[in-house]
Amino acid sequence: MKKALIGISAAVLGLALLAPAAIAQDPGKEVLKISLPKPMFVGTPKNIRTANLEMITGKPRGPFMVPVGTALLSAGKPVAASDKEPVIGEVAFVTDGKKSGEDGYYVELGPMLQWVQIDLGKSQELLAIVAWHYHSQARVYRDVVVQVSDDKDFIGAVTTIFNNDHDNTAGLGAGKDKEYIETFDGKLFDPKGVKARYVRLYSGGNTSNDMNHYVEVEVYGLPAK
Amino acid sequence: MTNKAFRGLFICAVLGALLFRVVRLDVRPMHHDEANQAVKFGDLLERGEYRFDPNDHHGPSLYYLTLPAARAAGERTLAGLDETTLRLVPALFGAGLLFLFLLFAGGLSRETVLAAAALTAVSPAMTYYSRFYIQEILLVFFLAALIAAGWRYARTRSGWWALAAGVSAGLMYATKETSVILFAGLAAALGLALLMDSLGKRRDGVVRDGDAWVWREARARPPRAFHVALFLIAGAVTAVLFFTSFFQNPQGLADSVRAIAASFSRAGNPGFHAHPWYYYFQILAYSKSAGNPVVADGPVWSEAFLLFLAVAGGIAAFGHDAGKDGSPRFVRFVLFFTIVIAAVYSFIPYKTPWNVLPFYFGLVVLAGNGVGLLLRISRFRLVKILILAALVPGFVTLAVQSYRANFVDHSDPANPYVYAQTSPDFLKLVAAVEKIAAASPEKKDLLIKVIAPPDETWPLPWYLRSFGRVGYWTSAEAAGKIGDAAVVIASAANLEKTTAALGDGYTSNFYGLRPEVVISLFVRRDLSDRSIGAGPRR
Repeated sequence: MKKALIGISAAVLGLALLAPAAIAQDPGKEVLKISLPKPMFVGTPKNIRTANLEMITGKPRGPFMVPVGTALLSAGKPVAASDKEPVIGEVAFVTDGKKSGEDGYYVELGPMLQWVQIDLGKSQELLAIVAWHYHSQARVYRDVVVQVSDDKDFIGAVTTIFNNDHDNTAGLGAGKDKEYIETFDGKLFDPKGVKARYVRLYSGGNTSNDMNHYVEVEVYGLPAK
Repeated sequence: MTNKAFRGLFICAVLGALLFRVVRLDVRPMHHDEANQAVKFGDLLERGEYRFDPNDHHGPSLYYLTLPAARAAGERTLAGLDETTLRLVPALFGAGLLFLFLLFAGGLSRETVLAAAALTAVSPAMTYYSRFYIQEILLVFFLAALIAAGWRYARTRSGWWALAAGVSAGLMYATKETSVILFAGLAAALGLALLMDSLGKRRDGVVRDGDAWVWREARARPPRAFHVALFLIAGAVTAVLFFTSFFQNPQGLADSVRAIAASFSRAGNPGFHAHPWYYYFQILAYSKSAGNPVVADGPVWSEAFLLFLAVAGGIAAFGHDAGKDGSPRFVRFVLFFTIVIAAVYSFIPYKTPWNVLPFYFGLVVLAGNGVGLLLRISRFRLVKILILAALVPGFVTLAVQSYRANFVDHSDPANPYVYAQTSPDFLKLVAAVEKIAAASPEKKDLLIKVIAPPDETWPLPWYLRSFGRVGYWTSAEAAGKIGDAAVVIASAANLEKTTAALGDGYTSNFYGLRPEVVISLFVRRDLSDRSIGAGPRR
């Protein structure tokens, strides 16, 4: 029995070793060479487009349904930021209600991971957060993470609303959400009615430069009674 | 000025020119046009194949002149090439331009030659495009060589200079088909210079101004027929050799003529390269955001110092005394050439900033003459020293701007010399693909599909040159099934269809290709997870 097992094992091993060689040596066959299309040559591309960004993502955002009585909670509310001395503008621009894409309407925070945080004054049911980072130019902000909490230091009981930092560059945990191109529509994040007083938005540079920008952030919800 | 002082200062200028041109040549991401040229050169390097393309490429000289550089670097394949080797070619021609100024001796005073060399060494425009793997700086070099050889011929009547002038003219044509405009400009300038001479001479044929022998002699003894023939034959043979790929592609010569027609057509239909007539002067005089509506306030860029000196040098061309070894007639010729070419280039709606170079070269010579004029204001040594001291900040300002343009803001759209430049962010995409390949069992043979129009494809083919299986399609429809690729790179216009086709099995991230142009990198999720295990992608 033992001899038979050894014989079978040797036969299987031999076949396993010889089979690929047999395939490789088959004189009637060869590796299929597939030619892939080459790049097309073209002259110097366009330098810069106009300040009026066209909608390159195609369709405008559809209607977003919220309960009757939903209101803008963030207008004029105090804003804090990780960069105490913004390069351009002031952090108050984030909630001043002005959403123009021109210079003078956005705040520029330094490079690497930065955040802005809005204090809504009290914990309230949040139904929509809309952020405009910068919409005069087609660009994508990296590692966008939106969190809400009742803790102003975001240490305890933090709810993550959106996270597209898929490789955890920001160190807040890897996210599965997709990156998106900035447009004048802004990006709507759905907090799904979670209650919180503080809203914090992170970003880690963008596709045009390493800086972080905010034109406006709006937080909608049902005002606490 | 003593010979020793001249030599010392000239060597300083050459060293400065080299410093600005050859250091850190890989610091700026490859431009769309550079990548085009590099891949085209790859065919010549690897297989000895080159066919002149009259539609999207300029002349062959750049590719053939890159061959020695690549061979010297020990490179035999496109994959083995790097940015430094390629850009070293225009960089050396840009620095070599300084030596051609020496051939202008007799036409320009020593002070003028030195000033022009120093201005060329530190000029932001000259340095920036000397570090650019495109034809422009070679064109300027051969233009200067033609003028220099022509000038030497006028002085010596040597057949060798006629031959050198012919080869230079042939190389100009073999560099860029639009050199025909420069030939016309040179002819017009010569005609204007002779006309002015004839207006200024007395009936007996003696020219009123000093140093008249050059043009008087030229009129008295026109170029010998043999020398004219030598010039024409040398030019024609040079052009034929290059355009026919050294007789491998006879069609190339006819194609070069077609390229002229294509260029004129492009000049009349500039599309998105249409710019106002004052575009070039705006770049040189004053720029804060390079006319870019989406760039916030940036530093001021200005070569007004050079323009001011050029105006002074132009005025001096009408004077009687250009120094002990200078000729106002030669400077007048340069002035007329500069004015004619600046006018023609400004009139043509099609403009890209590197096209400023042919008449910018004239401005540099005139600016050098302006320095010469200022130094001749007084005979007193102390006054000359004070004038020089007053000029030093202007040279320093240019040098500082050159440093900024080439090493700090090399890709910033607010830099006026930057045009459709690849964003540094794009290199993050390249790094991500490299990392994914390293994590993949197929390594660099993993299948990559690029779905983007041609103007959003480059410089990917350069950066993916070492990958074995890369395919390029212009639309998602043309690409067919794309879910078999480990990596898909799609332009924004193809994003929706690509996302739908790939589903949740792929991660996606955006990267900036150029200002306002983003492309998306899709990676099969298992590979993405594996590469993340090796650390963050950015």
